[in-house]
Amino acid sequence: MLPEFEYHRPASLEEAVRLLSELGPDAKVIAGGTDLVVKMRAGLVSPRHVVDLSRLTEIRFIRDEGDRLKIGAGTTLWEIENSREVARGVPVLREAVEEMASWHVKTTATIGGNLCNASPAADAAPPLMVHDATLVVVGPEGRREVPIGEFFTGPGQTVLGVGEILAEVVVPKMRRGQGAAFEKLTVREGALSIASAAALVEISGGRFVDARVALGAVAPTPIRALKVERALKGRPATREILRSASREAKADIKPITDVRGSREYREEMSVVLVRRALERAVERAGGAWA
Amino acid sequence: MSAEGRFRFVGVRVGRKDGVLKATGRATYAYDVWLPGMLHGRILKSPYAHAEVRVDATEAERMGAVVLTPRDVPDVLFNPRLVSVEEDTFKDWRVLTDHPRYVGEPVAAVAAASEEAAQRALEAVRLEPVRVYRPLLDPFEATRPGSPAIHERVMRGGAWVDVEDNVACTLEYSEGDVDRALSEADVVIERRFHTNRRYHLQPEPKVAVSRPDPDGGVTVWTTTQTVHNTKILISQVFGIPQSKVRVKKVFLGGGFGSSIHTNLVTLVAVALSRKARRPVRMALTREEDMMHDHVSFEMHMRIRAGAKRNGRLSGAEFENVMDIGAHQIQPYPLLGTALGWFVSLYKWGAIRYFGRAVYTNKVPSCALRGYGNPQVTWAVETVVDELAEELEMDPVEFRLKNYVGKGDLFWGQGPTVKSIIRSDGVPELMRRGAELIGWRNRPRPGEQTGRYRRGIGVARGFHTSGAGGPLSGSVIDYSGAFLKVNEDGSVDYVTALQDHGGGTLDAHAKIIAEELCIPLEKVNVVWSDSSTTVYDVCTHASRGVYVGGEAARRAAREVKRKILEYAVRILNVAVGPEALRMRYDEELKDAVIYVEGSDAQTTLSEVARTAWQRNWGSISASVSFRATAAPPSFTAYFVEVEVDTETGRVRPVRVVAGADIGTVINPELAEGQVQGGFVMGWGWAVLEDTPYNPETGALENMGFITDYKVPTAGDIPPIEDFRVIFADTYEPTGPFGAKGIGEAASNPVAAAVANAIYDAIGIRFYELPITPERILRALRERERQGRESAQERGGGLS
Ligand SMILES: Cc1cc2nc3c(=O)[nH]c(=O)nc-3n(C[C@H](O)[C@H](O)[C@H](O)COP(=O)(O)OP(=O)(O)OC[C@H]3O[C@@H](n4cnc5c(N)ncnc54)[C@H](O)[C@@H]3O)c2cc1C
Repeated sequence: MLPEFEYHRPASLEEAVRLLSELGPDAKVIAGGTDLVVKMRAGLVSPRHVVDLSRLTEIRFIRDEGDRLKIGAGTTLWEIENSREVARGVPVLREAVEEMASWHVKTTATIGGNLCNASPAADAAPPLMVHDATLVVVGPEGRREVPIGEFFTGPGQTVLGVGEILAEVVVPKMRRGQGAAFEKLTVREGALSIASAAALVEISGGRFVDARVALGAVAPTPIRALKVERALKGRPATREILRSASREAKADIKPITDVRGSREYREEMSVVLVRRALERAVERAGGAWA
Repeated sequence: MSAEGRFRFVGVRVGRKDGVLKATGRATYAYDVWLPGMLHGRILKSPYAHAEVRVDATEAERMGAVVLTPRDVPDVLFNPRLVSVEEDTFKDWRVLTDHPRYVGEPVAAVAAASEEAAQRALEAVRLEPVRVYRPLLDPFEATRPGSPAIHERVMRGGAWVDVEDNVACTLEYSEGDVDRALSEADVVIERRFHTNRRYHLQPEPKVAVSRPDPDGGVTVWTTTQTVHNTKILISQVFGIPQSKVRVKKVFLGGGFGSSIHTNLVTLVAVALSRKARRPVRMALTREEDMMHDHVSFEMHMRIRAGAKRNGRLSGAEFENVMDIGAHQIQPYPLLGTALGWFVSLYKWGAIRYFGRAVYTNKVPSCALRGYGNPQVTWAVETVVDELAEELEMDPVEFRLKNYVGKGDLFWGQGPTVKSIIRSDGVPELMRRGAELIGWRNRPRPGEQTGRYRRGIGVARGFHTSGAGGPLSGSVIDYSGAFLKVNEDGSVDYVTALQDHGGGTLDAHAKIIAEELCIPLEKVNVVWSDSSTTVYDVCTHASRGVYVGGEAARRAAREVKRKILEYAVRILNVAVGPEALRMRYDEELKDAVIYVEGSDAQTTLSEVARTAWQRNWGSISASVSFRATAAPPSFTAYFVEVEVDTETGRVRPVRVVAGADIGTVINPELAEGQVQGGFVMGWGWAVLEDTPYNPETGALENMGFITDYKVPTAGDIPPIEDFRVIFADTYEPTGPFGAKGIGEAASNPVAAAVANAIYDAIGIRFYELPITPERILRALRERERQGRESAQERGGGLS
């Protein structure tokens, strides 16, 4: 059963921040509650106060601003999956969201919740990482921007301080010549990732001018696979190079063994997922193998 | 058999009687029962896998809660499932205990005005460990000398028996000279198997509402597959006469065996309500239901079997070690039925069986769709596949040559329940299935390369329809029905049988309609209880239609006899009731009673009305019925799978599922049972397990379905690639030729899937579930061995 708590429903972001600063570390934000409530039922967290953001329309939007997309943290996964702006500008995010959970969950779950919950397996993270997204945080000290690569600090942990709320995600859109793809391995459709990978490549003149790869569920946080990226950048876009670069993924990750999979399995799967994501990203970038 | 054309109502596709109620949310489940002045209960469950504890409830009582501790419950040992005769029933449970033997065993309970208040009080109950024991999570470790005793002694019937080495019960059996048979066999193979420990995930978690009555009795609404056994157990534990225990029938949100016994929550609710002198409602959360209530039997099996070159089996040894968890929910009869499942699949020749049930500090095991049959069938059908391969025989032909079929002695439910097989669709199902799947052109094991590899597997199986037989045996199985004709010719049908959602009672209504020649709308299935129905053991063992339906048919036949007697008074030209016939009249929507070759006729409504108006009296019948057979419903699965050799993931591509259930009474629902049976079997084969934390002895997934995945519609082949075929058979002992289906539908699935995986990648698996990770590890291991042997060969040449 749920532990007891006091429920608050602020009417604005400003009020929410004030409330959270007053209540201190005993308070937790709730958006869709699809992570928080599960954790509360399991007795993993028992906040004394719960501050509900679900009524804050000011953080629930998808805006196209030319070369970037702004997504409010309170936007539901269902809205993202069905957004034309997302499908066009950040298709790899849509691809990831499509494979998440179920319709029921996605109509309440938010993108902000997925990121702030900071699960190593958060599926929205790898796509946003390969897009070099920036997170806009609002707190008692005002606004600040955090690159997504610096947001996660450990399992369930982020740089958010007391009173701080994630307000929006700013995502540079895909450019011509780029291609991206997402791969996820689960025990069953709609389940949590055993491992996941997103890749974004840009190919020009038969070479990888840019290559970004991020992985989920294989380290304490979602991570960029920098060794894989280094093994690609500037090199010819051949299947052989892609294959050998994918193998570098093993050196980028630090997986653990849990009920969903063993460390060894995750290591091997990381290579497979990275390779598949890269292959599909290359095809989408124009498919010109060197 | 397709019943089309032969019957008026049986076999016809119609809407479900309870469809509207369910679709509009008006069906009342135990969860919906809300009584005035009702309290809400919560159970304090042991955080220890094995400990002696002290309970201090002072604070909770000070908060105003009604508290129940182990001291407040009757000092009675029981087995929650009443199915064996008393002298074969092992008892080791208490309603609450200060010596919990698994994480989640109920230690105390509280009731308060709201669930929240109850939870608050529950959290105020102190539980102090007096002694904590090392958890035993493996049956082989548990039986090692020096392991802590989980139970010192338990009761068998009315007598104490000592428990040695944590062995709960054993059964041994042999026929013929196995050692000789195996030494003379041309091929012998021996394999060890280990199954998973699955959770039922029935849609409705356990609920019980208990109301103490002024006469000292109780009225209970609960999730149960048997209102009568629940009544008896409550009576035995609390010493209340059975006439004062009223167990009400409510809709049940799925069973699969999870409520085959009286759930502990029911007994706790009764105890709490008697102490509080107010109604008490208790509803388990999903986490509690999974963490603390029940799982399937986890079995460690060994089979050694031999065959002659001519393709005949000659002998087999079967060893079955069952990890039953901390308490007995009838593993003893399962030791017998596991043997029954084994011997009734094939004519092994000489056999030797060694079965033992072992206590561990895990969630207790109970029946789960098949009562051990899927486990045994998986092992047998793997061994049989391997033997066929060794003999270079077609696995389909090898099976047909050796299976137990028509005319053979059958004892599927164990050595005390024997009868002769009278209907058998196995050859038809195997031949048609093979043709439909393209068996002849299937890939050869392990010869494919490339990332995706496909394979086709076959497995067959059966389940008994009930546990009846000509001798009384050691298992209780009989049913009953009450039927009365109303004053307008409609009928009320009163039965104790539960409908788990599969449509059992819809089938009964059809059987009654068929016998009485009246439309389905005129058959009312009464929501009854244990006081107003005659005894039925339980809706289990796929007996709902075969046994319960036959009881209904016999009641209808009896009613029909009386109707004809009355009709003679109206149609007095007839010489007697035997001269009358009955048929259904589409226009009148009524049964017409007539004399052949004459104009004399009347209708059932006319007879009923006249009997009322002329003071002839009501027409009714009450029957109690014991089936003298438990015929097998046969199933045969052909499954095509695709293995992704990079990730180890398997996907079902096509399924041909054949079922021999005699006359098909409800075609759509029977098909649904087969499809559901496949989905459930698929989950057992590749997905489901409940691993334990070795230190704490708690479930790793903490009861959350986040990490207990079962297949969904998205995981199975599209319906056009899922063929269901029914054999053209007629079971002479069943109602209008029918047999059961529920369990047969899933029993061979895991085996067929495992055999298909073998066909795809050339590797056999002896541990369930066959997860992607296990597949990948096996593929890598084979590559490694391939490299090594290549090196060796290379070395040998130089
Ligand atoms: C059945 C099921 C399936 C699921 N499948 C997937 C899956 O496939 N992939 C996946 O990644 N996840 C999955 N999830 C997890 C979950 O649904 C997602 O992570 C979801 O996006 C969480 O969003 P929420 O709005 O529900 O978060 P909440 O539960 O409301 O919050 C999660 C955490 O984030 C904090 N938080 C929320 N919003 C903010 C904010 N704006 N600022 C600061 N802190 C905030 C909360 O305090 C809390 O700690 C699944 C969950 C369920 C129940």
